Amino acid sequence: MADDRHAPKLDDEFNDDDLFASAIEIKVEAKADISLEDDRSNGLSPIEEQSHNLSAADEIDLNSDSEYKDGVPDTKAKIELRSEPEDIFEDIPEPKEVHRETMAGRSTLETLVTSPRTQSCNAYHAGTMIEEEKVITAESDGKFITISVKDPQKIGDGISSFLTYNVVTHTNIGLFKKTEMTVSRRFSDFLGLHDKLAEKYLHKGRLVPAPPEKNVVGTTKVKMAGGQTEHEGKLPEFVERRRAALERYLIRIAIHPIFQVDPDFREFLECEDELPRASNTSALSGAGVLRLFNRMGETVTKIAFKMGESDPWFEERHQQLETLESQFRRLQASLEGLYSHRRELAFATAALGKGLALLSNGEDHAGLSRALAKMAELHDKLEGVHNDQSNADFYILHELIKDYLSLLGVVKDVFHERVKAFQTWQHAQQMLAKKREAVDRWEATGRSDKVAPAKDEVLEWEAKVNRSQEEFDVISKAIKKELELFDLQRVKDFKAAFISYLEAQMKAQDKIIEHWETYMPEAKAIA
Amino acid sequence: MENSNNHLDVEKKSERSETVDLNDNTLQVDISDALSEREKVKFTVHTKTTLKDFAKQDFSVVRQHEEFIWLHDRFEENESYAGYIIPPPPPRPDFDSSREKLQKLGEGEGSMTAEEFKKMKQELEAEYLATFKKTVAMHEVFLCRLANHPIFRADTNFRVFLEYEQDLSVRGKNKKEKLETFLRSFSKTTDEILLGSTQKDVDEFFDKEKSFLLDYHSLLKDATVRADKMTKAHKDVADHYIKISSCLLEMATADTNQLERFATKTADIFEKARKIENRVSTDEDLKLSDTLRYYMRDTTAAKNLLYRRLRCLADYEGANRALEKARAKNKDVHAAEWSQHQACEKFEQMSAKGKEELIDFKVRRVAAIKKNLVELCELELKHANVTTPFTFSLKSF
Repeated sequence: MADDRHAPKLDDEFNDDDLFASAIEIKVEAKADISLEDDRSNGLSPIEEQSHNLSAADEIDLNSDSEYKDGVPDTKAKIELRSEPEDIFEDIPEPKEVHRETMAGRSTLETLVTSPRTQSCNAYHAGTMIEEEKVITAESDGKFITISVKDPQKIGDGISSFLTYNVVTHTNIGLFKKTEMTVSRRFSDFLGLHDKLAEKYLHKGRLVPAPPEKNVVGTTKVKMAGGQTEHEGKLPEFVERRRAALERYLIRIAIHPIFQVDPDFREFLECEDELPRASNTSALSGAGVLRLFNRMGETVTKIAFKMGESDPWFEERHQQLETLESQFRRLQASLEGLYSHRRELAFATAALGKGLALLSNGEDHAGLSRALAKMAELHDKLEGVHNDQSNADFYILHELIKDYLSLLGVVKDVFHERVKAFQTWQHAQQMLAKKREAVDRWEATGRSDKVAPAKDEVLEWEAKVNRSQEEFDVISKAIKKELELFDLQRVKDFKAAFISYLEAQMKAQDKIIEHWETYMPEAKAIA
Repeated sequence: MENSNNHLDVEKKSERSETVDLNDNTLQVDISDALSEREKVKFTVHTKTTLKDFAKQDFSVVRQHEEFIWLHDRFEENESYAGYIIPPPPPRPDFDSSREKLQKLGEGEGSMTAEEFKKMKQELEAEYLATFKKTVAMHEVFLCRLANHPIFRADTNFRVFLEYEQDLSVRGKNKKEKLETFLRSFSKTTDEILLGSTQKDVDEFFDKEKSFLLDYHSLLKDATVRADKMTKAHKDVADHYIKISSCLLEMATADTNQLERFATKTADIFEKARKIENRVSTDEDLKLSDTLRYYMRDTTAAKNLLYRRLRCLADYEGANRALEKARAKNKDVHAAEWSQHQACEKFEQMSAKGKEELIDFKVRRVAAIKKNLVELCELELKHANVTTPFTFSLKSF
């Protein structure tokens, strides 16, 4: 339904392009209204509706504070235009504006300034912080979304073959067409999703989770592997790791309140057909090369430009994140070491088992021979236990740390975006100053013909200054919010991972006990 | 022997004395002290005896490893002991690996935190101590076997070893002598192989024993190597636990929120887990690898016995042939007869003694392995049972 689809588009903060300001305003109000109704129909908890009203009030106040005198009359306009929601929505292309319905509270009545981005700054009032928490709990109250990635399958043969995965979603979030869906996706689809999200959100200061890395060697091995029968049995380990990583990636997107309702994401989960090939993600494509250049340029600017940090919070956070990163790296190194040594232990145990078996064959004393044979068996079993344990080491802990390292990388990128916004702002200020000087100069020399256009320029730059300042504020606030989310998530993830790891350890110990206990009578029985 | 309590590896010792026949207190030998200086280890050999042949009842001397080897060589060379299994000599005290690790640790000191460094150093020190204890035990076992053996204990060299207060001035073999020994052993091995293929043994028992021992020896060697590898891997795993636990601790101190307590507790658990893993690995090492290793050496000694016997048999047959030849030529008959008689006697004596020794060896071996396996089992269970509770306690978090 048009309704359902458009309902959650409360906040078009992410519309960059061709929407006229007025269109935005209208849409927003209309949205506000519809969202109210639709929220109720979607069964949002009363908390959200309340908060939604709260922020409505807030927003109105803010409007009056904002520089744009537009604000005030617009609010009135809001009320008038309530009747015309649908049509306007029809015009607006879908991917542009979804905002989390769960953020309904904060973003309903947006301030009406020319740039859509600045609207989001109103979204992040102190009040909304509380809403965010409520949002998370609201999720667990009624709304949920679980995703799993399964059944890697090889399609095709030879160099043009690829792997697809089944993405299975269960959800009761109303935005989705169905409550359960299964689609088939390939790795480049995931990368394409990431690109779309990054394009939309990164420069707003949102932490877009990083997708799993490409792996040329592994992929080629899979491509070159023989026919169907071969791959049926055992796909290489790298496929299993990738599958687990893809699953974690999707889940991380899903728990983020904003991304959860993003239309691209939903399309990814829902659309039964094959998605258009995201050929931009390939390293050798034109886009890939462009990306490379961009990245190089960014690295240079990162080194060159030192931002005068006005907000101590960022300074502190940055430090903290740096230490966290180095700690993670060390932890990762030790975990890798642990993993490889445990593997070694497993091998050595197996080898000992074989040696003991041989020994028992050579032993002429019957009782001892039998005991040795049993011991050989025991060691084989122990090898299995050790192998399992090392798997736990790896999958649970190591991958977690790796994920977090890449997330920290994303955080750094986001910080950098903020620096860029700051740069733009400063630049705008400088230009403004220059233009003002120009005006003064022309006025002093009495060239009235030049004065007028110069004054226009001044106005233009003033607007730009304000806009970039707002952007900067927006991004700063967004980052703060995101980092809080990140922290919460981190604590949760770590706790869960360590507990499950230790449980695995316990199980392994239990098995070891079992094995040795079965052996004991054998040893005692040697005549 | 069982009474000595300043010694830490009582188990091994008592195992020895249990399985050896004679067990009286007329001659008790133990290593009461050991000092490690740089390259050398000085053992204090303490003897308590009621035998009249000795000057004093209770005395101690200081001996070094080379002097143990000298003693063993004296026994080995002695023809009258040819029929016996000579207890294998104790291995050289080897602290090289520990020293290497200590060096590496010192070099890497900059890269880890003070705590971590301290812990790893502790680990290394414990390892060093363990190696030390082991080597003392080995030397002691060697001496005890000699002391308990009815024939060996009366040997003059042994007596000298125990009593002579001064340094025995046994210098380690210099290069030339080492080369000599090497060549000699080389020729001995080829001789052995040659004999093994050409000489047919009269007695079936010995024949079977020979083939059995040859096989068994190589299998034991193989198993020992593998057991060693496993122990080492276990130790490595334990070492990594230290690193992880210190990482976690660091994270905990840096983290200001709820993760802190959790991380500290987890770090703690890893610590404990490490200690246990370490203990498991040393126990394994002790029970399994060492037993296998000891028996490997013992088997070598048994093989030596067989070789000697075979050599003797060859000599005997050679003497027989010489006698026949002499009889044919009818000269030097008496000399040939006499030498043949000698050879025959020697051979028979050897066979009789040898048989006894080999049977005894078998019994000893079975009992020792059984005991060690049982103990290993118990220890493993004990350790595994201990680890479970505290991993459990974390869940309460």
